[in-house]
Amino acid sequence: MTARVIVVTSGKGGVGKTTTTANIATALAQMGNKVVAIDGDVGLRNLDVIMGLENRIVYTLIDALDGACRISQTLIRDKRVENLFMIPTAQSRTKDAVTAEQMIEVCAELRQEFDYVLVDSPAGIEAGFRNSAAGADEALVVTTPEVSAVRDADRIIGLLESMEKSPIRLIVNRIRPSMVKKGEMLSVSDVREILAVELIGIVPDDESVVTSSNKGEPLVLSQDPPAARAFRNIASRITGKDVPFMNLDQRDSGGFLGRIMRVITGQ
Amino acid sequence: MIKLKGMYDSMLRCIISEDMDAGDFSKEFDEVRGKGQRFLPGAKVVLDFGARPLSGELIGGIMSSLVWPSGIYVVAWITYDAATQDLLKRIGLPTREPEPSVRAAEYAKSGMLFLQRSLRSGQRVDHAGDVIIAGHVNDGAEILAAGHVVVLGRLNGLVHAGCNGDETASVVARSMEALQVRIGTKIGSLDRDERWWGKMVIVRVNEGSVFIDYWPAIKSENREEGIG
Repeated sequence: MTARVIVVTSGKGGVGKTTTTANIATALAQMGNKVVAIDGDVGLRNLDVIMGLENRIVYTLIDALDGACRISQTLIRDKRVENLFMIPTAQSRTKDAVTAEQMIEVCAELRQEFDYVLVDSPAGIEAGFRNSAAGADEALVVTTPEVSAVRDADRIIGLLESMEKSPIRLIVNRIRPSMVKKGEMLSVSDVREILAVELIGIVPDDESVVTSSNKGEPLVLSQDPPAARAFRNIASRITGKDVPFMNLDQRDSGGFLGRIMRVITGQ
Repeated sequence: MIKLKGMYDSMLRCIISEDMDAGDFSKEFDEVRGKGQRFLPGAKVVLDFGARPLSGELIGGIMSSLVWPSGIYVVAWITYDAATQDLLKRIGLPTREPEPSVRAAEYAKSGMLFLQRSLRSGQRVDHAGDVIIAGHVNDGAEILAAGHVVVLGRLNGLVHAGCNGDETASVVARSMEALQVRIGTKIGSLDRDERWWGKMVIVRVNEGSVFIDYWPAIKSENREEGIG
């Protein structure tokens, strides 16, 4: 088994990296893949809470790096989905606790055991981000349709390009079609035009994301709102399936199912 | 009133206010000479008269009350009055704004930089010559060029043309979407609701201010818009 190692990053904080990591990891596992999600945000860990696994933490990634345990002992198996694992990080340490070389080694070890390794990167462009990305082959860049988030995503894409990550693919999170229509929000095509990388998913703004995060239950586990479908579609696209984009335009919607229509990506 | 300002290449600019009465010249020049007796002898000075017309007699007066006694070396006599320019040229006095020497020297070294890619946020190009970008300059990207800058895509980021003080440098963008453009020591700002936003423009410094104008349309473009 040789896993694909994918870093989930954004530059700006609060755009939904951790939620995206949790949902995509869960969706990939639901499809039958063996997946591990690593929390790369040392000192500000959140992935465990969003995946609902915080009460099962015994060892963290940092313990393994300090030699207190083996990497395999840090793996937390998700009881709800077969083949889904998570590696938590330490809340009491800082980004200096990990080096890029260590992350490369950890990823290399996990590659043997998994199909997909997802690394949830911290916000920013400093060591934390660089370490998280060090062991990855590919990158998912999460942005929201806001000028500041897009500018930070652009910065991150430039850095990922210089680190030779490929492919670098884009997720536009929290889009509100009604605001786009009124010209109050950047559209997906605006974002794509600026960032000029491949789009792999559009996730609509959805209140259920907040409730599911608070419950520690990734949206794709039990619910079926548009955001959950969007995350599932992204997971399918990662596996190489050609899934059409949802049409988030509510103008033509005829009831609940009518809202889920296909193909708007601006192209 | 007369003002003395520093310029590039350690030159001075002597700005003679347009509304000052010609009768006060001699008194004002005395004052300038008094204040500048330590640094004026041998200094390179641009005399800037704005739009003031000068007669031959007045020019003679300036020579005898300022130029000769102060020991300055006049590099240019700047006026926007066409008749005066003509008169100055006939006498054989320099009327062209001097070009910074750094430009000529550095150009010889570095020439033009042609980049066939877009600049992303945080990426910076620093070049001692002209820069052409065959791509976009995204928000948060920066270009510092000693010479001209041409952006063949969207200009969202910051461009500083003539960054060593050369105000003859210009910025051309295929789609102008930047809130600020810097040329030489000047800063020009633009609002999103201005008519140049998103258009192909040229930005230059004229009379000490940053000016923006449409890049002249070619005939085929005029036809498309039904103008020509």
